[in-house]
Parts: sequence; structure tokens; C-alpha cells
Amino acid sequence: MKYLLSLFLIFESFSSLSQSCDYIFSGKVSDEMGNPLVGATILLAKQNKGEVADENGFFQFNKLCSGKYQIEVRFVGFKTISSSVKLYANKVWNVTLQSDSTALNEVVISEKHIELAATSTYSSLSGKALEETLGKSLGESLREIPGVNTIQTGPAIFKPVIHGVHSQRVLILNNGIRQEGQNWGAEHAPEVDQFIASNIIVIKDAAAIKYGADALGGVVLVNPAKLPTEAGIGGQVHVIGASNNGSGVLSGFLEGGLKKWPGFGWRAQGTIKKAGDSRAGNYVLSNTGFEEQNFSVSTGYHSEKKGIDIFYSHFNTSIGILRGTAVETAEDLANAQEREPPQYTLPFTYEIKQPRQSVQHDLLKVNAHLADGKNEFRLQYGFQNNNRKEFDFRLGAALSNIPALGFQLQTHTLDADWERSHSTKFQSCWGVNILYQNNSKVDGTQTIPFIPNFDHYAAGIFAVEKMTLANWVVELGLRYDFKNYDVVGFNFQNRLYRSNIDFQNFSGTFSTKRKLGNFSSLTTSISNAWRPPNMAELYSLGTHQSAAAIEYGLLLDEKTSEVKEYTATGARVEKAFKGVVGYKIEKQKFTTELTGYVNYIFDFIYLRPRGVTEGLRGVFPYFRYTQTDASFIGFDLFSVYQLNRQLTLTGKASLLRATDETQNDYLIFIPSNRADVGLRYESKPIKKFSWNAETKIRWVGIQNRAPQVITPREIIEAQKQGIDIIAQRPGNFDFAPAPDSYFLLSLGLGATWKLEKSKWDIRLSCDNLTSEAYREYTNRLRYFADDVGRNITLGIHFSF
Amino acid sequence: MKTLRFICLLLVAGSLLFLSGCKKDDPKPENIPEAITKATLTFTPAGGAPVIVTATDPDGDGPLPRTLSGPINLMKNVSYTLKITLINELAKPTDPEYDVTEEVEEEADEHIFFFAWTNNTFSNPTGNGNVDNRSDAVNYVDTDTKGLPLGLETSWTTINESVNGTFRVILKHQPDLKSAATTSNDGESDLDVMFSLTVN
Repeated sequence: MKYLLSLFLIFESFSSLSQSCDYIFSGKVSDEMGNPLVGATILLAKQNKGEVADENGFFQFNKLCSGKYQIEVRFVGFKTISSSVKLYANKVWNVTLQSDSTALNEVVISEKHIELAATSTYSSLSGKALEETLGKSLGESLREIPGVNTIQTGPAIFKPVIHGVHSQRVLILNNGIRQEGQNWGAEHAPEVDQFIASNIIVIKDAAAIKYGADALGGVVLVNPAKLPTEAGIGGQVHVIGASNNGSGVLSGFLEGGLKKWPGFGWRAQGTIKKAGDSRAGNYVLSNTGFEEQNFSVSTGYHSEKKGIDIFYSHFNTSIGILRGTAVETAEDLANAQEREPPQYTLPFTYEIKQPRQSVQHDLLKVNAHLADGKNEFRLQYGFQNNNRKEFDFRLGAALSNIPALGFQLQTHTLDADWERSHSTKFQSCWGVNILYQNNSKVDGTQTIPFIPNFDHYAAGIFAVEKMTLANWVVELGLRYDFKNYDVVGFNFQNRLYRSNIDFQNFSGTFSTKRKLGNFSSLTTSISNAWRPPNMAELYSLGTHQSAAAIEYGLLLDEKTSEVKEYTATGARVEKAFKGVVGYKIEKQKFTTELTGYVNYIFDFIYLRPRGVTEGLRGVFPYFRYTQTDASFIGFDLFSVYQLNRQLTLTGKASLLRATDETQNDYLIFIPSNRADVGLRYESKPIKKFSWNAETKIRWVGIQNRAPQVITPREIIEAQKQGIDIIAQRPGNFDFAPAPDSYFLLSLGLGATWKLEKSKWDIRLSCDNLTSEAYREYTNRLRYFADDVGRNITLGIHFSF
Repeated sequence: MKTLRFICLLLVAGSLLFLSGCKKDDPKPENIPEAITKATLTFTPAGGAPVIVTATDPDGDGPLPRTLSGPINLMKNVSYTLKITLINELAKPTDPEYDVTEEVEEEADEHIFFFAWTNNTFSNPTGNGNVDNRSDAVNYVDTDTKGLPLGLETSWTTINESVNGTFRVILKHQPDLKSAATTSNDGESDLDVMFSLTVN
């Protein structure tokens, strides 16, 4: 051994004398948390050679000559590292980048097994960008990502819309578990505490094959940080106040490990929020207050090769719905639309009265993983209990305290995967997902339940193969799912009906990523996904909160409203085919990400207006769930330009064009085109203190691709003359025209103190600086009131 | 051996019983107190046969349309007392939620009836009703606890001429709103029906 070593050394010294050019310079780029920085750029300055860190953060330069090199490692959102390295042998050089300014980072992987497909198109919210959205709800924070919008029901309820589709077409993974709540409702926000997230990833191509077959729009991954594995206690505290709704948010966590037991970690986290009515520019939005109390605990043990952890979270919220939306008939809706401020507008209060929602969500997760050479195994069990009650104005004080809608949804999930690295060039992942779910109505509501009770069983199996070639990475995925629903509900005559439906289908994805030169890459993916109609789409009958229209499900007979068997109707599952192309350039001063997509959904399910009916209360327009073919075509753009060391210019834009292809008509509630421009100044750090200032302008265009308008007043006037105006003017319609385009200006000021073992961050920001009175097309409350006016937020964040 | 077989049989029987007991019970139907399936208007003259019309919607807020009986045939120059009753036929007559009139009476502070008719159908009240203008004349007999009108009982005297017109009744639910000034556009409609009316 020693003899060989000395020979080797002699050989080496000879090589250096003759200037050998056969060295390998490699390493790993990570962030402060140890997460690999996928896509970081490593530049050999003088030689003008660059490499990009792969999905594990590794980079490698081959055939380098010996000598001294100036190396620059850069990654958007992190401080660039400039260093010099002497190369006289193969060298491994690992580097850790410090998080820096805002901007969406590419990084993402916080739990080793939630590894993203290297070829998927995704955006993430982490580090400072995520910090600056703290206090907002999950849906609201996601709006910072181009291509992601929201559908709102007032200032407290936001649901993510990815590339034009939402609700059950967007999967949310809460710490790796499919979030199962009453997701069918456009006014049911995801019951997730945004504070548990250390990063939030949005996967925009339907290539979410590992997560489920029904992510037609995409997947949102809410990931907490890894549990600590070393002794010592750390934590964070956040205190945030906002002026518009007088809200206060207090959140924090404590985490640590044990000296005697390295690899063990624990974390305890909690959030309290209390907000009063929001205020539009000119009046109070009465009864839009909300409150939230959440906590989570987790503990686990992780070693090099294996680990187990347990996580439990409890989420509890009470949300008021704008009181002026309590309408029953077309006449009520007409009066409400013509009236400003809305009916029942009262002075500001913290009280939450009817109509309101009360939701509790409990989640328990047990997760184990084992790495064995080239293989990694993961097993995960999840249990969720979602309790939702909605309260309305009712006949009598006694009834007003009883929910008009109440359901308990319990879900058990079991996921198992096996990842195998056959070689550095070929990896596979195979897995199985099993789900059992039960939905039961809350007794005593004294209303006919809007959706039936059901037992749901589902099983899916998938395989993903990944190949890394010279300049290409290619991924192929295939999945098969089986779903069964055993239904028992009450029809419009309050009589019991039963149903049993099976669904099964394949879905697949094919994606590639090609490096173009040293600084850019091109990602393409084609995938298909499918989604069975949900319970509301199949069986719903009646009106529900702030709707003023009667909805009929797909399985209700057109004439008698009796419930039919699924196979006896023409109802089909939705099938989507999505193609996404992503082009990315990352240079020294300039980064751009351009994504183009086409999502064609066959048998897209939506509510189509059918006519007017007259009950004892008055005239009601009614809608029936219908299926059509729809297309969603669009672009997302994200650019960052570093003007100099201090100034950064950011631009975002998203364009979307959605069409009802079968009717050659427009769809309703499709987000309009929008763009953001921001300028940010980062001061030079003065000892431990640094500060930043930022301004942003958002432009939201008018939705020109909106369906025809038929106002409730027109419906009533026509009805008086015996004309059913809706039947007479077929096609989609909206009760009011799409609101005008608008600009929103926001300012932010932040300061950071980095002490030896802790960090203080203070942030003062102002949204809607000019208190613009505007209405957002995707806010379902736009028929009744303006959107929120000026809001000043002060946040203090302490971490140690 | 016999005891062992007996124990096995017992176990099997027990588990069968257990499993069948485990079968989920069907959900229980709800009582639906707030549906109004029938509104009845009874015009009673002083000493004479009452004139009765009904508006019926057999499934409450469900898809089947409503039907109105009528027309309301009143006599010239006669005073009538109008009483309105509301029932929920989705419930049994013995159930408390059958009688919605009682619920409205109990919540009189949140409810008010508005009336509209063809101009000059009545000599008392004159005009065309208070749907278009709250301060127009309507003879309310009953009131709520604050002295504001309710309208389950009203009084009418027909004009001394023939009339061929309409008669509209609106019941508004105005929780926390109802005052001496609230109009037929305030609150939510619980009833809105229009009958044909003749005076002969």
C-alpha cells in the first residue's frame, strides 16, 4: 500500500510538471439547511467554463489542467461565493451558499424522499420570499408564483388556481400527505397552516404521477423543514399586525435534539390569528373577520441510512362571509348588485356572525424510510379528520345556531415507495398509494344534506424511470388507479338513495430536460391525468352559501330530479392532456424562466346555466353540471435582472386563454392576464445590520374572454313577461360584466440584525398604497362589494 | 374435542354477529323546518264565505315549479280580513315544523309582509301597495314586539267597481334590519307570489 502510494505521488508530481489536463473538479452546492441547490451555476471565471448543479446539487468539471482557478458559485436568491482553488489533483469542493435577497429560488428538496422529478416544471417559495408572505393564508401566498392565481370568496378565503384550474384539480400535499377536505367547494379554503412551511413548491405540469392521478392542474407541496438531528434548542417567533382588518398573528416554533441521542429531533409549533372585518376603500366589508388556532408537534429519529418520524397537526378556523351576500332569489341578488355599500354594512367589528364557516382539520402522519445501498424505501401512513360546519341566516334564533351544512370527512392513506439508483445514469421509483375515506353528514342540521354520505376506496400504483444522458435527462412515468364510491344520500324529497360507482384508468407522463450551453436548459413534458366527478358535481341539489342559484348535479334526471345510476347517464371522468415547455437562462446578472403550456381537458365539468325556475320565494336561475371539452393555453414569465450589487429588478407575467371548445364559448372565473414589476434595494451589510427597500406594481387586465352578461334584473323582467331569458340566450353567462383592469402599488421596508446565535427581522409593508377601489374577477364576492383597500403590515421575526 | 369445536363455533358465530353489527347504519333523515310548500290566503268578509287561494311548491326549494290557484274573486264594496298561513308539507302535520306561520309569528321582529296590487282595487287602503314605497297605505292588523307591522293579518275594503288585476304578497326576512323604514328590497325573500284578483 505505502509503496503504491509513493509511486502514485511520484507519478502525480511528474504530471504536475508536465501540466496534465486530466483532473476532475467536483463538489456539491447546498444551502444553509443542507438542501442541495439544484441548478446553481459554478463558473471558472478566467476559463469561461460553467457547470450547473444537478438535482442532487452535484457538479463536475472534467479534463481540467492543473493550476489556480477563480471560482464563482451563484444562485438566484443567494449570496455569490467567489473563491480561488488550486488544482493539482482531483478535487472535491463542497460549498454552502448563504440565503440573500428575495426572488424565487430553484431549490427545493427539504426531505430527501420528496425528490422532485428533475424534468418537471416547478416554482418554489422559500427563504426570504416565503418569509415576506408570512401571515397570509396559503392560497394568498401562492399568488407570488407566476402561473398561480387564486379563486377567492372575500378577503379570507383563497384557493390556488394553477394554469386556470382549481379545487379538485389541484392537489395539495400537506407535509407529504394528500390534503383531504371538502375540496369540491370553491369557497372552501385549504385547511393548512402556512407557518409550518419552510418551503412551498408548485409543480405545474400534470406530471405529478407520484402524487395522484387527479392533479390535472398541478400539485402544491407544503414542506416543513427537516427535524433537527443535533443537540441544542432553536426556534422562531413571528408577530405580525395588519391595519386593514386589525389583525394580529402570533406564530412560533421550538425545536431541538438530544445530546445523548444524535439523530433524534423534535419540534413544537403553533399559530394564533385574529382578524376583524376587512375594509374596502370606501366602506367596511361587514362580517369578513376570521380567527385561527393551529398547533403541530413532530418528533423523529434520522440517521445516515434510516429514519422514522411522527407528525400531528391541528387546524381550527372560523371565517365570516360578507353579510351582504346572504341572498336567496334573483330579486335579492339584483338588489344586492345595485346597492353599494352592500346591505347590512355596519361599523368595523371583530365579531363573526352568520353567514360563517367553522372548520377543524386534524392530521397525523407516521413516516419511515430506509436506505440500503442503491435502494431507498419509504412507508407513510396518514390519518385526517376534517370537520366542516357552515352557518347561515335561518328561520328563528334556535335554528341560526345550528349549521345549515355539516360534514365529517375521515381519510386514511398508506403510501409506499421504492427508489432505486441502478447507476448514476438510471434511476427508478415505484410506488403504491392506498386510500380509504368516509364522509358522514352531521346530524341535526335540519336541512337536506348538499352532498351524500359515502365510503371511498382508492388504490394506485406507479412507476417512474429516469435516464441521464450526456446533455439530456429523460423521464417516463406510468400510473394505474382504481377508485370506488359507495354512496348513500337524500334526494330533494328527503328520501334515501343509494349508489355504487367504480372508476379506473391509466395515466402517463413523458418529460425531457436538455442543457443548452452553459447557462440554459429546455424542459418539455407531456402528461395525462384524469379525475372522476366529485360528489357535489354528481349529486348536489339546491342552493348553498352566497350562490342565489339552484345547482343540479350530473346524475339528477332533467325532468324529475330523481337520482340516476352513473352508468345510466352519459357522465364520464375528466381526462386532461397537458404539454408544458419551460426555457430557463441563468447568467451572472440575468435569470429568466419562460413556461408555455397547453392543457386540453376532455369532459371538463362545470356549471352551465339552463333556465329560470319560480318557487314560492321568487325567481331563481338554475344551473346544471355539464361536461364539455375545454382548453387552457398560456405563458408564465419570470425574470430577475441584477442592476448592480444592491439593486434588483424583477418581472413576472402570466397570460391565460381558456376556451369552452365544444360550445365555442368562454368559461367563467378564469383569471385574467396580469403582470408584476418590482424594484428592490439591498443595503451593504454594516457589521450585523442590513436593510432593504422594495416597491412593486401589479397590473391585472380586464377579462375580455368572459361569457355574455344576463343580469338578475333582466331575468326578473323577462319572467314577468313569461319569457325564460336564460333558455332563450343559450351559452354560459355571468350575472355581471367582468370588472375593469386595475393597478396595485405596494412598498416594503425591511431590516435584519444578525447576532451571534440569533437573527431579528423587521418588516413594514404597505399593500394597495393608493387604496384603489377595485374588483377582482376571480373573487366571488365581486357581485356585492369592492376588494380590500390599503393595508399596512408590520412584522417582527426572531429566530435562534 | 367437543368443547374445542363448540368454542370454534362460538367464535365464528360471535364474529359474524360482530361483523353484521359493524355494518354502518343508514344516515337518519333530517327534519326540514324552513321549507314553505304551501301559502294560503284566506279573505274573510264580515259574515260571508271566505275566499281562499293557495300557492303550492311541493318540494320547497327544489326543482319543481310552483302552482298558483285563483283568481281571488272578491265582491264590490265589502270589507275583508286577510289571514295568511304557511305550511311545510315535507313534514308530517304532527311535526312542529309543519306550521311555519307559528315560526314567523315567533320571529315577528325579523319578518314583515309587503303587498302590491293593481292601483285603486281597494277603497281602503287606497293606492297600489307598499312594495314600491314603504310609506304607502296597507292596513296591518298584527304587529311585532316593537310595534312594527307584521302582516299575517291585514284588513281590506274593495272599491265599488269591477276590477281585473293582480295581488302580490312578499314576505321579507330582515334579521337585525327591520325598522319603520325598511322596504321590500331589504333583507331576503321567504315568499313572493302574485295572484290574479277580480272585484265584481
